[in-house]
Amino acid sequence: MYEFTFHQPETLDEAAQIFAHADDGQFIAGGQTIVPVMKQRLAMPSDIIDLGRISDLEGISLDGDLLTIGAMTTHAEVAASQDVKKAIPALAHLADEIGDPAVRNRGTIGGSIANNDPAADYPAALLGLGATIHTVTRAIPTDDFFTGMFETALDEGEVIVRVSIPVPEKAAYVKFPQPASRFALVGVFVAKTADGVRVAVTGAGPCVFRVKEMEQALDKDFSAAVLKGISVPDDGLNSDLHASADYRASLVSTLARRAVAQAQ
Amino acid sequence: MEKYGIGQPVRRKEDVRFITGTGTYIDDVAPEKLTHAFVLRSPFAHAKILSIDTSEAEAMPGVLGIITGKDWMAEGFTPIPTKSGVAKKIDGSPLNQPERHCFAIDRARYVGEPVAVVVAETLNQAQDAAELIEVDYEELPSVTDARRALEDGAPRIWDDIEGNFCLDFELGDKEATDKAFAEADHVVSLDLVNNRVTAVPIEPRGAVAEYDAASDSYKLQNATQNVHANRATFADVLKVPADAIHHVAPDVGGGFGAKNSGYPEPPILLYAAKQFGRPVKWINDRNEGFQSDTHGRAQFSKVELALDKEGKFLGLRTRTIGDIGAYCWTVGPFTPTGGSARTQGGAYLIPAMYYSAVATFTNTMPTDPYRGAGRPEASYQIERIVQHAAETLGFDQVELRRKNLMPADSLPRKTPMGLDVDSGDFPEVFERTLKMTDRAGFEERVSESREKGLRRGFSIAPYLECTGGAPKEFAGIAFEKDGTVTLRVGSQSTGMGHETSKPQILAHTLGIDFNKVQFVQADTKATPIGGGHGGSRNLEVGGNAVLKAANAVVDKAKVLAAHLLNSNTDDMEFADGTFTDVKTKQTVSMDDVIAASFEKGRLPDGMEPGSLDTDSTFEREVISCPNGCHAAEVEVDPETGAVRVEHYWVIDDFGPIINPMLADGQVMGGVAQGLGQALMEQIVYDDEDGQLVTGSLMDYALPRADSMPRMELGYYEDAPTAKNPLGVKGAGEAGCCGAPPAIVNAVLEALREDGVTHIDMPLTPEKVWRAIVDAKR
Amino acid sequence: MSVISLTVNGNPVTVDVEARSLLSRVLRDQLSLTGTHVGCDTSQCGACVVHVDGKPVKSCTMLAVQAAGTDVTTIEGLARDGKLHPMQEAFRENHGLQCGFCTPGMIMSAVALAEHNPDLDEAAVRKGLEGNLCRCTGYQNIVHAVLDGAKAMRG
Repeated sequence: MYEFTFHQPETLDEAAQIFAHADDGQFIAGGQTIVPVMKQRLAMPSDIIDLGRISDLEGISLDGDLLTIGAMTTHAEVAASQDVKKAIPALAHLADEIGDPAVRNRGTIGGSIANNDPAADYPAALLGLGATIHTVTRAIPTDDFFTGMFETALDEGEVIVRVSIPVPEKAAYVKFPQPASRFALVGVFVAKTADGVRVAVTGAGPCVFRVKEMEQALDKDFSAAVLKGISVPDDGLNSDLHASADYRASLVSTLARRAVAQAQ
Repeated sequence: MEKYGIGQPVRRKEDVRFITGTGTYIDDVAPEKLTHAFVLRSPFAHAKILSIDTSEAEAMPGVLGIITGKDWMAEGFTPIPTKSGVAKKIDGSPLNQPERHCFAIDRARYVGEPVAVVVAETLNQAQDAAELIEVDYEELPSVTDARRALEDGAPRIWDDIEGNFCLDFELGDKEATDKAFAEADHVVSLDLVNNRVTAVPIEPRGAVAEYDAASDSYKLQNATQNVHANRATFADVLKVPADAIHHVAPDVGGGFGAKNSGYPEPPILLYAAKQFGRPVKWINDRNEGFQSDTHGRAQFSKVELALDKEGKFLGLRTRTIGDIGAYCWTVGPFTPTGGSARTQGGAYLIPAMYYSAVATFTNTMPTDPYRGAGRPEASYQIERIVQHAAETLGFDQVELRRKNLMPADSLPRKTPMGLDVDSGDFPEVFERTLKMTDRAGFEERVSESREKGLRRGFSIAPYLECTGGAPKEFAGIAFEKDGTVTLRVGSQSTGMGHETSKPQILAHTLGIDFNKVQFVQADTKATPIGGGHGGSRNLEVGGNAVLKAANAVVDKAKVLAAHLLNSNTDDMEFADGTFTDVKTKQTVSMDDVIAASFEKGRLPDGMEPGSLDTDSTFEREVISCPNGCHAAEVEVDPETGAVRVEHYWVIDDFGPIINPMLADGQVMGGVAQGLGQALMEQIVYDDEDGQLVTGSLMDYALPRADSMPRMELGYYEDAPTAKNPLGVKGAGEAGCCGAPPAIVNAVLEALREDGVTHIDMPLTPEKVWRAIVDAKR
Repeated sequence: MSVISLTVNGNPVTVDVEARSLLSRVLRDQLSLTGTHVGCDTSQCGACVVHVDGKPVKSCTMLAVQAAGTDVTTIEGLARDGKLHPMQEAFRENHGLQCGFCTPGMIMSAVALAEHNPDLDEAAVRKGLEGNLCRCTGYQNIVHAVLDGAKAMRG
């Protein structure tokens, strides 16, 4: 790892100040991505700004049909939360499938979505649930948030504070793990929401995406059978050692059907 | 005493350290004034090294110095020769052996080959400096696929070696085999890939070197499986006498063959320790391990089986291309040749066999023994072709196997490959295994799977194994006045529990307290010779060495016991720790005799205090043949291609079991590695640029707890081998001989209805899915 | 360098660390607690698992400075008053280890798993150990050990 200066601000203002003055500042939430990246000397930030001491970023609350999760909430906390289990069991289940128990005790929802790894699980959930990402300055609908591979709508230095998620009628997440890393080779999140059905896919493309054709079909009839014959084109899907594009496309269809069948 | 005797599941002595975090592994070794080495490795699969500029790096803070290939050659250090047991081509000329120096000198030939070593006060400083070393490379075309390496016009890895050819090899009767094929009713054939894998011991490789100027001698602490042989190698390289290097292995965190070889880093460290006058530590990180730990398997084979109308096997013909990587590593050329030939044909009676192979250079990390080294390949070949014969010719897979197993009354028998199978009962072991598998309930389980949209398949795989490794072993027994006994051995545990099983043999034989035995291994100062570990030799060679030394102690003690009882030595009998005069019925215990051995006044004339101490060497004459049978039941999801092994059964014939708990551990660990090879593990190099694609645990998949089925194990102990006094046959590698064919064949049986006839390992979800899709077309 | 204070195995500790030092390195190199092992670079193997404030974490994927003020337990801190922790006993009794290198992390994960799941069964143990790799045992005896250890912990 390269040398850097470490900061542990206690307020968002303080964090913003430090970031503004750093040559190449980098926020660290749970650190489960950035620490391995720095260990391998693939990143060289001048300053690491730990968000772990900022109390504004914590907590889970359920208010009517809106679930709110602080950005620094760990995967383990989401998985274990009675509120989450009650409101969106699929989300608790998804959180419980990220990494492994030790990773889940450090990794956070804010860190995961800010990083927007193409094979991460949370982007599928938030896009699938039509969540809103709240930063210090604004609220960003997830449809506008995930913009590309490791790219988001966040501005330089903009910190995620919390996400708010409308509770769906039913939802499910089905993940097919890459055998080595156990990231999603493909993961499909299906939700029947007040604004219609949403189907979000992670792992398959360079960035999480929705499958409109499936959504329209499911809007008419929320059943696995209706998805028969609907597939996503291979074009633009990821192709690598573990799965080529056509296999990923096939998994999208299979997992979507299974998710619909499991949705509760 | 009985509690700790042979055959008892004695709990392990070494565990007390390991479960409390007080073991000492190589990275825990930290002598005073320690410095740290970082190895700069080639980023290219094949490149000329035009120049190396270390000036900027040397000026970095904390840097003691940098060593390059040029410096190395200037010292006149010598290359590391191969010790391959097969060293001649078919025409009798020596194998093509390029010089393997500890550094890439003017050309790098695989990704990860050492180019320079930085020594600094801290590892971070060494790494910071390494980034400033300017290496001017000229990239060359590379070839990483052994089949392509043999083609005309393939990039040439060694200027003076045409066709990337190392050696060819043959064994068996070609004429008789060709005749068997010509006269056969059926001939089936398969092209098989034995995927390139690597051992991934959870402890990475590493070493700490120290130099003492006053005595001009070195101490090397090293996470190795083999201190004596590697000391000799390193001493030769550095042109110093072997006894100038004290080579010790601390607790070693797994090896599986990958810690056996003469690697380049330790001699570099020894040199650096002398050069810079400070102890030097180097620890590979995991990613470096994938580049620079030896790989295994990597064979491409055509296997053909000839059968008569009834399904009797008439002949087996195997032709293999073995990928040995860029160099002849320690025993690399042996594995695809002699190593894979011996157990061809497995547990079956096949009258005619012929095996031929070529070993080929590629721009990859060299291959060397990985758990089994040739036997898993042979086992996979025979069991795949038998399964294929059953499926394509319409035989029942169980019946076809049953019909062709070596009958018990055919033993002892020398196979057409020259292997001396002296003991065992293949049909009995097969039937016992089959009995465990609940065949009666299988159809119901198939239906249950089908209701879930899944397929279920079963297969059974008898295997024949053989031992290997160094044939000689040392054991030394020394007694102390306080009753403790020190057992020094030249064999080595890297997790297998020798600290328990060896004292078990000693305590049982002498009838003394197991807990009083101190155990010393893997130290060139403690034993004059040592074979370390490899080839499942621990009990077969090392255990017999302990037995031989212990028996010699008994013989000496008998003389003293007779003296103590005023008896004749010839009248003394020894059993369960007690000497008895058969005439007078007087007795004296071994403990008393040992105590007396320190008292001058109680000794007979000519016997000195301490004279029970015994050093002994055992030499194996003929390798043994562990054997057994595996069976697997799998479930396959045809929509995703995911495979789950649902049930697993094994019966092994290892001869008498010294410690069943440890034997179980060996079998289950071997099955896990076999399952890994069958379903998920594979080292992949990019075809175009020779880069290592599976460079970390993010891409190289290892079995986890939830990848493994529950395994049911059993032993057949009624056929001890007469080849050694303990009657044991070796247990360490058997698991990964049986598992790949049992699992792969079970998957293919499950997919029979889909028209799938073959999938190459590893059976990843995509490959399984694609095979189903392709078969539908 | 920054000075951090934390509790390690029940003892208050103050240590001067580089910002880039991982918790695993500080435990091993500066506090001589070498029972915590490092077997990979990508957070996969789990040999480095320790408890931070009672929860298992991968100490190779946490900066030591982030552990300031926390309560850390390593494998060396499990045995109390010379008596092995029931999970340690269970690993030995069930032959849940061979080379021992993954064992400290495996035991730390197992203890946390048992503490947080009163009704462990075989499947839950296998899933609960998904972040710990063992190359020697084939896991079966580890699973037995964790079930036995969990039972003993419940008393």
